[in-house]
Amino acid sequence: MFQLSLKNLLRNKRRTFLTGASVSLTLILVCLLGAVLTAMESAEGSADNRIVVRSAISLTFSLPESYWQRLQQMDHVLAVTPLNWFGGIYKDERPENFFAQFSCDPQTLLDVWPEYQIPQDQVATWRQERNSFICGQALADKYGWKIGDQIFIKGSIYPVDLTLTLRGIYTEPNAPSAEKSIYFHRKYLEEALGNPGQVGTFFLRIDSPDNVGTVVQHAEAMFENSEAQVRAETEKAFSLSFLEMLGNIRMFLGAIGAAIVVSLLFITANTMAMAARERTSEVAVLKTLGFRQGHVVRLVMFESLAVGLGGALVGLGLAYVLVRGAARGMENVFPIFGTLAVTPPVALLALGLGILIGLVSGGFPAWQAARLSIVDGLRKLA
Amino acid sequence: MSDPLIQLRGVTKVYRRDQFEIPVLEGIDLDIAEGEFVALMGPSGSGKSTLLNLMAGVDSPTSGRIVVAGSDIAQLGEGELAPWRHRNVGFIFQFYNLIPVLTARENVELPLKLASLSRQDRRLKVETALELVGLADRMDHYPKQLSGGQKQRVAIARALVTAPTFLLADEPTGDLDAASASDVLDLLGQLNQEFQKTTVMVTHDPRAAERARVLYHLEKGQLQREHTGAV
Ligand SMILES: Nc1ncnc2c1ncn2[C@@H]1O[C@H](COP(=O)(O)OP(=O)(O)OP(=O)(O)O)[C@@H](O)[C@H]1O
Ligand SMILES: [Mg+2]
Repeated sequence: MFQLSLKNLLRNKRRTFLTGASVSLTLILVCLLGAVLTAMESAEGSADNRIVVRSAISLTFSLPESYWQRLQQMDHVLAVTPLNWFGGIYKDERPENFFAQFSCDPQTLLDVWPEYQIPQDQVATWRQERNSFICGQALADKYGWKIGDQIFIKGSIYPVDLTLTLRGIYTEPNAPSAEKSIYFHRKYLEEALGNPGQVGTFFLRIDSPDNVGTVVQHAEAMFENSEAQVRAETEKAFSLSFLEMLGNIRMFLGAIGAAIVVSLLFITANTMAMAARERTSEVAVLKTLGFRQGHVVRLVMFESLAVGLGGALVGLGLAYVLVRGAARGMENVFPIFGTLAVTPPVALLALGLGILIGLVSGGFPAWQAARLSIVDGLRKLA
Repeated sequence: MSDPLIQLRGVTKVYRRDQFEIPVLEGIDLDIAEGEFVALMGPSGSGKSTLLNLMAGVDSPTSGRIVVAGSDIAQLGEGELAPWRHRNVGFIFQFYNLIPVLTARENVELPLKLASLSRQDRRLKVETALELVGLADRMDHYPKQLSGGQKQRVAIARALVTAPTFLLADEPTGDLDAASASDVLDLLGQLNQEFQKTTVMVTHDPRAAERARVLYHLEKGQLQREHTGAV
């Protein structure tokens, strides 16, 4: 029975291939979009209850250290820690050797990132040694760093170089991309620079995601009339801000994806319908031989489902390979894309769409085939 | 004489196209005995195919009764007609209507897929049918690799393989050259004589009609028995 469907698919190999390929292509697109959207959505390592406070003018302007105290005293704020982006060069300037380097306050950093898992004795040593640093497990694995190792980082934004000793390694199982940073003493940097009291960003941990909005408003209001006005936003929004410059990119991508899927659905459905129409007389013959409506429906549906599902599986496989490649290439430049992956929900969505394309494109011809009167079907042939 | 195998009583068929009514058959009465070989002639558009389709259960009459082996198929719905056709009707088309993607063997096997048979049984039946029509050496050929006459013989094997109650052929030689046509008619005659296969054949060809034992003429919605042929 299904042998006939398969042979029919092989009858017009080029059409079957093109139809399958168009399904594959659609689903590759869906997967890519899905992966990007998922990565943006999760903005992994960004908790819902963390806020970033930075200069209202631009990220390149710093805030006075005195703001720390004032932020700390706000309602709903559990902890505040300053963080500066060092942006130095390790080994060479190749993107694969790029990772995030932060100058931080070792006393309070882990109050804002309590999810970092690190042995207490390592924390204690790190806090005491001014020229030491901690790094994430992933980074330590990548470079083979061990506790006690020294690394050299050449400044590029700041006109100083750093020589740092590794004193702790943290893990963050829920956000592997967060394991690709190092944290060192801000005091060490300030001494080297001779320019103390400047903070790039303050990170605040809030008691509950529900209060984030309030704190954001209050923080901005509090410094309204100060020397440096601030912009406060969720960590998630902060991570995305470079992408948000493009406008509402998520909706944009989503809309494009939907448009492509819908138009391809129509094209595929039309092709399948044409293929079925060409065989009107064949359906009439099958019915004459005693095949029931259910048989011909199954025959037609099997064909289109095979194309839909086959196309989906191929597309999924290709998307998986593509996305992995993209993730490898971009993870160091945009850590947010390091987590780029065809996640199970996206894969399921793609598979579901493949089946849907098959069902929809087969549904109409199948319905026609079922309804076709034998006499009309045979007549077309003569 | 026992009850006829096929019995038509007051069968009418009116096609409706927009507001027009096209009466094609007007009160046909017809008895066909078991083992009979009937030819049906008539001008183009007289309703020969329509009449055959009604007997095949692929079309339903506007009124009248079509009783085959005791049951009135005019009363059956499509859900019951499909299995009825499978059991009772072997249909042979003018243009063979083989499935192009299937080999001769697979084409003949197609109707057997509806029966609960083992693979071996199917294979045996298919090969027997193809041998009977003289195509034992062409079983794995595709339709496009066969001549018109050979295609029609595959189609006859496909009609026979389910051992139907009767064969219906709509201009089975209409698309064939004289020699192939003669072969196909020989085959149909042989099936009728050796296996008493009741056969109704629509044809334009007087030589084809001569093979039949009974000849009917259809014109202006009326059926007339012309003559009783040889035998
Ligand atoms: N589905 C239909 N709708 C409308 N008219 C139809 C339909 N089927 C057949 N007819 C008409 O019924 C008449 C009989 O058609 P039919 O095909 O039975 O003739 P035929 O005797 O087999 O002709 P031919 O020798 O050319 O095959 C014709 O006038 C045809 O136009
Ligand atoms: Mg006809």
